[in-house]
Amino acid sequence: MSSGGESIEKFRSLSPAEFFYRNREIAGFSNPSRALYQTVRELVENSLDACDNHGILPTVRITVFPENTKENHYRVTVSDNGIGIPPRYVPQAFGKVLFGSKYKLRQTRGTFGLGAKMAILYGQITTGKPVEVRTSPKGSQYSYFFKIMIDIEKNEPIVMERRIMKRKSKRHGTTVSVVVEGDWSRARSRILEYIKRTAMGVPYATITIITPEKEAYKYSRVIRKMPPPPREVKPHPRGVDIEMLKAIIASTKSSTLKDMLKNAFQSIGKKSAEILLEEAGIDPNKDPRKLTLDEITALVSSMRKYNKYRPPRTDALSPLGKDIIEAGLKGVLKPEFAYAVTRKPSSYSGHPFIVEVGVAYGGEVPLSPDKGPILYRFANKIPLLYDEGSDVCWKVVSDANFNWRQYNVKLPDRIAVLVHICSTKIPYKGVGKESIADVPEIEREVRNAVKEAARHLRLYLSKKIRAEEEKRKIMTLVKYVPEVARSLSILSKPPASDGNPVDYESIKSVLMKIIERRARKIDGLNIDLRELIIDVG
Amino acid sequence: MTYPGIDEIDYKQRLEAAKKLHEAFNKTIEELMRGKSPKLIIPKRTLSNTIYDPERKLLLLGPAKLKRSFTDVNEAKRFMQTVLMARILYESLLNNEYPTIRDLYYRGKYSITYMDLRDRRKKSENTWEEQKESDAAIRDIEVFTGLLREDMLVLSKEKGKLVGRIKLRSGGDVIDASKMGHGAYALESTPDLIDILEVDAEYVLVVEKDAVFQQLHRIKFWDKHKAILITSAGQPDRATRRFVRRLNEEFGLPVYILTDADPYGWYIYSVFKVGSITLSYESERLATPQARFIGVMMTDILTKEEMRNVLARMKNLRKRNLEDILNILRNKPYIDSKERRNVIIKAKEADIKRAEQLKGYTWFKSFRWRLELEAFLRYKIKVEIEALASKGLRFLAEKYIPEKIETGDCID
Repeated sequence: MSSGGESIEKFRSLSPAEFFYRNREIAGFSNPSRALYQTVRELVENSLDACDNHGILPTVRITVFPENTKENHYRVTVSDNGIGIPPRYVPQAFGKVLFGSKYKLRQTRGTFGLGAKMAILYGQITTGKPVEVRTSPKGSQYSYFFKIMIDIEKNEPIVMERRIMKRKSKRHGTTVSVVVEGDWSRARSRILEYIKRTAMGVPYATITIITPEKEAYKYSRVIRKMPPPPREVKPHPRGVDIEMLKAIIASTKSSTLKDMLKNAFQSIGKKSAEILLEEAGIDPNKDPRKLTLDEITALVSSMRKYNKYRPPRTDALSPLGKDIIEAGLKGVLKPEFAYAVTRKPSSYSGHPFIVEVGVAYGGEVPLSPDKGPILYRFANKIPLLYDEGSDVCWKVVSDANFNWRQYNVKLPDRIAVLVHICSTKIPYKGVGKESIADVPEIEREVRNAVKEAARHLRLYLSKKIRAEEEKRKIMTLVKYVPEVARSLSILSKPPASDGNPVDYESIKSVLMKIIERRARKIDGLNIDLRELIIDVG
Repeated sequence: MTYPGIDEIDYKQRLEAAKKLHEAFNKTIEELMRGKSPKLIIPKRTLSNTIYDPERKLLLLGPAKLKRSFTDVNEAKRFMQTVLMARILYESLLNNEYPTIRDLYYRGKYSITYMDLRDRRKKSENTWEEQKESDAAIRDIEVFTGLLREDMLVLSKEKGKLVGRIKLRSGGDVIDASKMGHGAYALESTPDLIDILEVDAEYVLVVEKDAVFQQLHRIKFWDKHKAILITSAGQPDRATRRFVRRLNEEFGLPVYILTDADPYGWYIYSVFKVGSITLSYESERLATPQARFIGVMMTDILTKEEMRNVLARMKNLRKRNLEDILNILRNKPYIDSKERRNVIIKAKEADIKRAEQLKGYTWFKSFRWRLELEAFLRYKIKVEIEALASKGLRFLAEKYIPEKIETGDCID
């Protein structure tokens, strides 16, 4: 969809590069601390997508090194083992805003459709340094190295340097390195938290970050299973907007509106196309490229109003799945219990979505606050770090709205809840794209998923409480065995005559047998109780 | 380990007590070796299982039993404590020892170490923390085996004293209790090991207060009146109660109890007579149901007018009761209202509460006791034995006590 950028250009007088440069706050580059964090984030998400979408188990390595300490310039380098980029696309992919593979209807990580370009643009503006890209496409015998800058006014790449090298190994992947003005000391904890949460969502990846202090944090792969890559699907007509329709018109090969609707959207056949166009008062055989803005608006409105579509297809979604979420929780939080739920697909306003919830309890999970469990939010596999309080997920899991006591959890406790919402369109709240809006359909799904996972937690906890109680009882008996055996054996010896005294060991062994009979009924208690005894001196 | 001629009586007692202990626990051991979870069936020592037997005039242990099973988690520790105490008692019997209950507490106290099943760490727990717990274990063994601690040669502080024309053999020595000088014979912890050789007395007088005992001893009250004089020095210990019982049972001597006129004094009388509520299992051997209360009575000091007020408080009076009262009041009051002002003490809140409690006990429901209690509750005053002595020691020794015994002005 290389023409996407051009179509946008038609409707705007600014070049996209210039537009984003002027509005960089929106993209998360409002200050050096936030910008450093955003740079890491964009590059990491690009790397994960380069692996994920092609069924490669990701190995991602991040370094943040001081480049010029006086100016607070940092070099951020992210390497992956993805499929690499064909060299002819490299200048466009890194040097032209809105070029890329993101503006399609399938679930991908990128939140802004800009990938790394905003980071490159920001780096160029603040440090004047070009982006360095080294890529080894899968199957190619060569590695390619580029130094690229962006011509902001023309929105065109300027290739400063280009090299081709013969490859020695078969390793493929891409390394992107940018220099940006940043504030590491302020961004540090955010970046590390971001990496930790990312690792939680992709337990099938190995992620390493090396900080300016030369500290390495490594999250190793704990599962080799990957979620199936999302498939591209045509958009559902209920979710159409003017911008999307314009983009479709710009790229369509159909000669009539009727055909265009049929070809570009799911759930539209010949009949429904005619009804929609009649409703909008437009000739079905009109050339789509000749539509006026008023007609586009009328068509969008009739497409959104119509209510007889089939529900949107869900193949575009890529949920993580129960196993991966549980592996992620176990790998990062090391809990004693983890359970995950993937709900069936659902939809809101024509956008399909799937809610997944994982619950981790006990072990090394940090203590939660009083007002709710520790919450890890993910949208299309990206961790959301900010604005937790206004997120619909927090609304669902907070103690005020969710009766945790009913599930044997008394807050604060060592409990974490992971919520992953995947959708072709995540309903973000506000421009920061850090929290999800209160969409009733999503809220309901999240609540049902949390309830389902919490029910399993309750089951686990009540079993555990029972087993603990039984163990405590067994302990109580075992600890008195030596004294009881000793006393009874002494009392068994008659005072004057010889009689038949019973020795300490025999009494002890009978007592232990009686206790073992009882202990056998406890789940998961397969140890030799004799080990617990410390004989009396 | 025996020292012939010295500990022979002790030795026999030891052997017998050890045999009983062994037999009582051997049943449990035999059952255990057959694979049954071990348990002890012990009579309950609770207030609700304490019963007053009006026929025998004794506080006795009721029929309720408790099952102390080792495999019952709530009972396991007490089971361990019980067998631990039994073992220590058994060992000290066999080793010719004379432990006190404090000794037994220390001997059994140690730290049990064990491995915690949940975190695999070594933990420890004391067999018992306070003497309260080891004392309870001793009581459990007493009721379980029917052996009193004296039978197991457990010593306690000697409190009771005795003087009079009586000859005893104790630990191989012959003691003439009429030749004790200004001192007295201290009643040993094991009164059943005393051999009573000769008694030349007509009654036993038990005095609550040691000081009054000494006063009466100085003037040789016991010699003149052919009495055996005993003091319990406050609440009686087991040895004193047992010895009084033996004098009554084995020599048919009447027993008179002299205490202060207040609820505490009256309860001391009650312990001698029917037994104590908390240790009702001992009553059968320690109580003296024939003991009588000689004074001090409220009726000894109240005027006829005051007595009328007291009677007005009492319901269900029959004619016979009124005649009784006239009889009682023949020689009274012993202290007139002028003298009284100096010797009475105002009752405290606790005294009144205690008196109300006594009123509820069956053995305090006789007419004479009701009269005493109502008089106390009406005037809220207490009188000490010393109040009578204040009129002169001879008044107490030559008038009050002999006159009461002679006229039978005692409460049963």
